[in-house]
Amino acid sequence: MEQTATLVIEGREIPLDKEGFLRNLDDWSPEVASAIAAQEKIELTHDHWEVIRLLQAFYREFELSPAMRPLVKYIGLHLGPEKGRSIFLMQLFPPSPAKIGSKIAGLPKPTNCL
Amino acid sequence: MTNSILALCRHAPYGTTFAREGLEAVLACAAMDQIPEVLFINDGVYQLLAQNPQAIAEKSLYRNLQALPMFGVERIYICQRSATERGLALSQLQLTGADVQLLEDPGSLIRRFDQVLSF
Amino acid sequence: MTLHIVNQSPHAGSALRDCLNAFAEGDALLLIEDGVYAAQEKAPLELPENDVFVLSADAEARGIAIAPDLTAIDDLRWVTLCVEHTPIVSWFR
Repeated sequence: MEQTATLVIEGREIPLDKEGFLRNLDDWSPEVASAIAAQEKIELTHDHWEVIRLLQAFYREFELSPAMRPLVKYIGLHLGPEKGRSIFLMQLFPPSPAKIGSKIAGLPKPTNCL
Repeated sequence: MTNSILALCRHAPYGTTFAREGLEAVLACAAMDQIPEVLFINDGVYQLLAQNPQAIAEKSLYRNLQALPMFGVERIYICQRSATERGLALSQLQLTGADVQLLEDPGSLIRRFDQVLSF
Repeated sequence: MTLHIVNQSPHAGSALRDCLNAFAEGDALLLIEDGVYAAQEKAPLELPENDVFVLSADAEARGIAIAPDLTAIDDLRWVTLCVEHTPIVSWFR
């Protein structure tokens, strides 16, 4: 059965899959990110946006959504060891940072997110 | 005791699905903390040649492979003979952030492992 | 020591050649399925001197006479070979 979940942003309907990931990655905008985050009961702060931008950079660089380990490593590489820790990411995007972060950043669902 | 795992990547990237299946298996192993080492051999060395598969509407296996070190997969081997036979220099076959070694004798590497997955 | 298993005809693809290029001294080679076409006396590729095994049922099924310097084996011996060797590498396709 076709899922019909949508977000409505500024009068525009944005289709989501049944887990809340964007159906069309081109639909992403900061407003869309905030709306998806709100569905996850997350209010986006500076720290969130830093990670979101790096998730998107990861995807541009590798054409893959990161699992937890690569996400931690990539964040550490770019933001330093203080932030490159799973506890930091867990606090930002509970309960599954790679999955929830990717969803908010407008990336496809990570395939190796076990 | 943990098993040591070698992934043997033998096929060119887009003609068959072997190369992508290999990548997915390697990432799945890494996600389960069974970090494999990877040997590119035979036509598999072409996986490490920079690619632009947008032209055939495929995702870039080359770009995906560049993520291996991020997943903890850092020991990468290239069969020297396979590269030479195909006119490829090591400088054309890169994996940033990995410890890439050229191998003259792949057989002696292979026998060091408990498990070998071929793709 | 490694057990290499090849299931492709030496005339159809590069599996056997690729396998032999990655062969180390003391390794064993097992030819199964279409791989048995490499087990004839006038096969196109030179096989290692020792420890080359051929699954006899696959050879017989294809009407292939196994060269006398190779060892014909049954399924049970195949299992033993697998137990005796680590790792096992499949050269399929």
